[in-house]
Amino acid sequence: MKEQTETGDQMFELKWLWQNLEGNRTRYILALCLSVVGSSLTIVNPYISQRIVDTFIAGDSALQNLTQERQLLIMLCLGMIGFSLLRTGLAYFTTMQYEQSSQNMMYNIRIFLYNKIQGQDREYYDRNRTGDLMTKMTGDLDMVRHSMAWIFKTIIESLTIFIAAVIYFFTIDAQLTLWMLILSPPIFIVAYIFAKRVRPMYIDLRERLSQLNTTTQENISGNRVVKAFAREEFEVQKFTEKNVNYSTANKKAALVWLDYFPFLESFAQGFNVILMLAGGLFLMNGRITFGEFTAFSSLIWAISNPMRNIGIIINDIQRFFASLSKIIDIYYAKPNIVNEHTSTNKRRYEGRIEFDHVRFKYDSAIVLDDVSFTVEPGETIAIMGSTGSGKTTIINLIPRFYDVAEGRVLVDGVDVRKLELDELRDNIGMATQDVLLFSDTIDGNIAYGDPDLPEEDAISFAELAAAHDFITKMPEGYDTVVGERGVGLSGGQKQRIALARALAVRRPILILDDTTSAVDLETEEHIQKSLRELDYPCTKIIIAQRVSTTAQADRILILDNGKLVEEGTHAELLAKRGYYYDVFKLQNEGIGRQVTASGKE
Amino acid sequence: MARNKFDVDENLESPFNIRHFRRAMVYIKRKKTPMIVAFILSALSAAISLSAPLIMQHVIDVTIPAKAKLALLGWAGLMLLTIVVSVYLATIRSRIMTSVGQDIIFDIRTDLFKHLQELPFKYYDDRPQGKILIRVVNYVNAVSDVLSNGIINFILEIVNLLFIAAFMFAVDVRLSFVILAGLPVFFVIMMLIKTRQRRAWQAVSNKSSNLNAYLQESISGIGVTQMFSREQRNEGIFTRLAGNFRTEWMKAQRYNLLIPFSVDNLSTIVTSLIFLVGLLTLSPQDMTLGVILAMSSYAARFWQPILNLSNLYNNFINAVAYLERIFETLDEPVTVSDIPDAKTLRPVEGHVTFDDVTFAYDPGLNILENISFKIKAGESIALVGPTGAGKTTVVNLISRFYNISSGKILIDDQDISQVTLKSLRSQMGIMLQDSFIFSGTILDNIRYGKLDATEEEVIAAAKAVCADEFIREFDQGYLTEVNERGSKLSQGQRQLISFARTLLADPRILILDEATSSIDAKTERLLQKGLNELLKGRTSFIIAHRLSTVKNCDRIMYVSNKGIAESGSHDELIAQKGLYHRLYTAQKMEA
Repeated sequence: MKEQTETGDQMFELKWLWQNLEGNRTRYILALCLSVVGSSLTIVNPYISQRIVDTFIAGDSALQNLTQERQLLIMLCLGMIGFSLLRTGLAYFTTMQYEQSSQNMMYNIRIFLYNKIQGQDREYYDRNRTGDLMTKMTGDLDMVRHSMAWIFKTIIESLTIFIAAVIYFFTIDAQLTLWMLILSPPIFIVAYIFAKRVRPMYIDLRERLSQLNTTTQENISGNRVVKAFAREEFEVQKFTEKNVNYSTANKKAALVWLDYFPFLESFAQGFNVILMLAGGLFLMNGRITFGEFTAFSSLIWAISNPMRNIGIIINDIQRFFASLSKIIDIYYAKPNIVNEHTSTNKRRYEGRIEFDHVRFKYDSAIVLDDVSFTVEPGETIAIMGSTGSGKTTIINLIPRFYDVAEGRVLVDGVDVRKLELDELRDNIGMATQDVLLFSDTIDGNIAYGDPDLPEEDAISFAELAAAHDFITKMPEGYDTVVGERGVGLSGGQKQRIALARALAVRRPILILDDTTSAVDLETEEHIQKSLRELDYPCTKIIIAQRVSTTAQADRILILDNGKLVEEGTHAELLAKRGYYYDVFKLQNEGIGRQVTASGKE
Repeated sequence: MARNKFDVDENLESPFNIRHFRRAMVYIKRKKTPMIVAFILSALSAAISLSAPLIMQHVIDVTIPAKAKLALLGWAGLMLLTIVVSVYLATIRSRIMTSVGQDIIFDIRTDLFKHLQELPFKYYDDRPQGKILIRVVNYVNAVSDVLSNGIINFILEIVNLLFIAAFMFAVDVRLSFVILAGLPVFFVIMMLIKTRQRRAWQAVSNKSSNLNAYLQESISGIGVTQMFSREQRNEGIFTRLAGNFRTEWMKAQRYNLLIPFSVDNLSTIVTSLIFLVGLLTLSPQDMTLGVILAMSSYAARFWQPILNLSNLYNNFINAVAYLERIFETLDEPVTVSDIPDAKTLRPVEGHVTFDDVTFAYDPGLNILENISFKIKAGESIALVGPTGAGKTTVVNLISRFYNISSGKILIDDQDISQVTLKSLRSQMGIMLQDSFIFSGTILDNIRYGKLDATEEEVIAAAKAVCADEFIREFDQGYLTEVNERGSKLSQGQRQLISFARTLLADPRILILDEATSSIDAKTERLLQKGLNELLKGRTSFIIAHRLSTVKNCDRIMYVSNKGIAESGSHDELIAQKGLYHRLYTAQKMEA
């Protein structure tokens, strides 16, 4: 039963491969056909050279021929060279076709997978590690390419030569041929057992590779933490463990191969013994002639080599399936939230946001519980609350990074689940806490959401985000390349670039998730002023911990443990003497500030 | 060199030369004994398998005409024996070489990884992470076979070639030269394509490196990409990079395939020439037919090892493109390292002295100039000032993440440049702005601060930073699996976990760089109470923007204009009515 499903899987996987060969099928089939032709041609030159030997060297009338048929000799030699050129030229062409079609296929799958990965929702990224995804997109993909370019080629060529030789042998002597073939069944049986045993090892091997990749990748990403804790030795230990595992798994798989190799190889060479024994007896009995025996012996490689290749092919094929199934996993991974990218006419929203009895769960934990509120276009809303109270979750629901468990999130009166994802997200500008910049110029980073942004605009948005001053102080100004994740910049600097990036898209909804936490107060004041004076209509939702940030908002929402506990203006909430009041007091303690301090009434 | 982007090829500073190969030999030499054994086994196996054609020859010439059936059976048995023995020897060789190959790349990979641990921040800051990753994993894998089996086969093929050449010359000198005549042509072809082939493989490695860098960045930056719905544009970039890779690969193949093409044809041409020259030009009387027959078969046999060698050469050229990248990384200078006779930093009390310190990331662009200050053990210091003024730089220098340009930094009167990095950093607790979370359990993440901490210690640390409560709310509590990008934890929760990690390390000097920026005011207040207890007796440096945090510190230093502009307690600085006073009143006015 299990075997059946396994074969079923493999059939499905091969079908999948065939589908992805779309556009290159003709080329690939042409290559397969040319392989058949090319491998048949390998028999021609030995034949010509045999004729030369027979006619001019070994034959009875050799000397006579040599003086009279010089023309023929030259012709045969030229023919040999000609056939060689033809065959190798064909082989060159054929191999290029294999390479081209397998490269094309890899290219197509790679781009498809890339899009697939890009289209996955947050949940997928919560489950899959970067190192795993990288393994699939590099090692596994290359294994599949290798199979298309090499393994299938070897299979078809081996098969052609084998069949051609067997047919040729049958025309000479059927019985001797059958005697020779007696070795094939044991070879197939050994190969089958080997395939069964080695398959799980290759699955294990690629898992270890994936772990090695993940450990290394995290070490590189977290190199600052590693150094801060002087944990280099620990990291080397951790890495060595994965390195040993991978190395051991490699050896293990290779040793299994070497358990079977002696049998397969001895059988393959055993064809010579059978030929000598059976052929010799037939010769003695006069069943076959000496010439026929020579014919067998000169072409025996044509059946022993393919048999010898079976082991190697099986080995690679098992690796191939181990990798292929991983790729297919990504290929068919269906995100719950799908971006179709179909919207051609993207509308600009007014920017009204409504949460209607929203509940949200993460795993089993309730993160938001019955949250309802409305934000009118142009309003500025501040959200405050304790760590883990669900602030970030609220704003993640607006661009639909996650879907609600119950209730609705509406933008301009429409449930976000009914809106085109591209259109929805194109109406939102967002800067998150965890600032991620790309290894590009500062200008390129600010223009990330709108790559056609003119540099003057990038500068003016940087000014709004209070980033212009420090950028111009850098050696290459806006053309300075910042490292991945913006390393090389301080936390506050990164936040300001991310803010400029969010402002630059001029979206009707602007969401700032604690974007100024690492910015000093003076700078923050400048940013607050810019935000109030944006030259485009914009609904703003700002998560902040500082009262100085929230005070100017039209309304403040206080979240506690997933519930909306307070709502109102700065003054109203202070008057309530609840959570907000406490926070205000904490932050101003000792500064001698009065509770009635200025803020929106 | 400027910072590298995903779509910029990395120039190779030094061209590949024999020196690189010698370095690879260092790894190979460690495996000298097993490799020699494997070589001997291979040679034996090959020699034994040579007897099979001889047996066949004898059977055809003698046994069969004599119709000796029993003898035939005997010879068949002998042949079977030679096959089994030679295959067995070959299997042992393969067993040995599997280990050798794996061990060699294991060693290279370990050295590479160890070296990476020593490389300074700047190395990581200057290039996309994907480009580093691909070297450690994919590139090293790519050279495995060439450095193990490749070398043995190379020697075997050369020995083989010499043997055949010797036989060949023994039979006929003149025809041997005909066979050799193909060699110069072969070398000319090799010369012509050598450089191009090498460049082509270098380009392949560059393009695959770019592709990987972009891929990794796309995965890490997926949130931003989806936010700005930039998927289609990214697809365009990725498509271009994938296309570049494909183009370069095909180019490399074009040159690669030329080699078997030329060898095959040269071999045929030489064989034909043997027939033509042997039969037509040389006088038949001094050329027996057997000689021509033998020479024609030697012609084919002579060129077979050359074909094998050129295939090995192809693999080698391909591997070199990866090897040189690996060695380039290994050659990357470690700028911050222990001096030759570095001492261990004695257990620290916590005095920190900056003595006329000047520092620049890039020469000529000083970030800090002539800074001097003295901090007593147990003091808590707040660093304030505008973003980008160098607050983080000051604390980074204490842990010697960078070398200073001039001046001295002392801890308890010990110059930090004279002590081992490990002894220095293991006595400091640094909480960085980015709170990196490793994939694993929350427990493991906190334990990173003290690897042998008991579960109770971990929980105590989590309690001290008010993280215990939210951790317990997860179904699996401390055993909850978290990862680098996962959204299971909020930013504030990440900060609390990395805070707990730092505290668990029980450092003598504590550095908090915006450690609480994402933590809400109430939690921070609770945190503060636990912290005050923990801060007792430790020197601490705190970078924060919230004045409520800053105010309680023993001393406040205002960092600006490449130096410390003001320094003193809160009350002193307020009285001074300088920069700090302005900052303080700004906050007051604003709210």
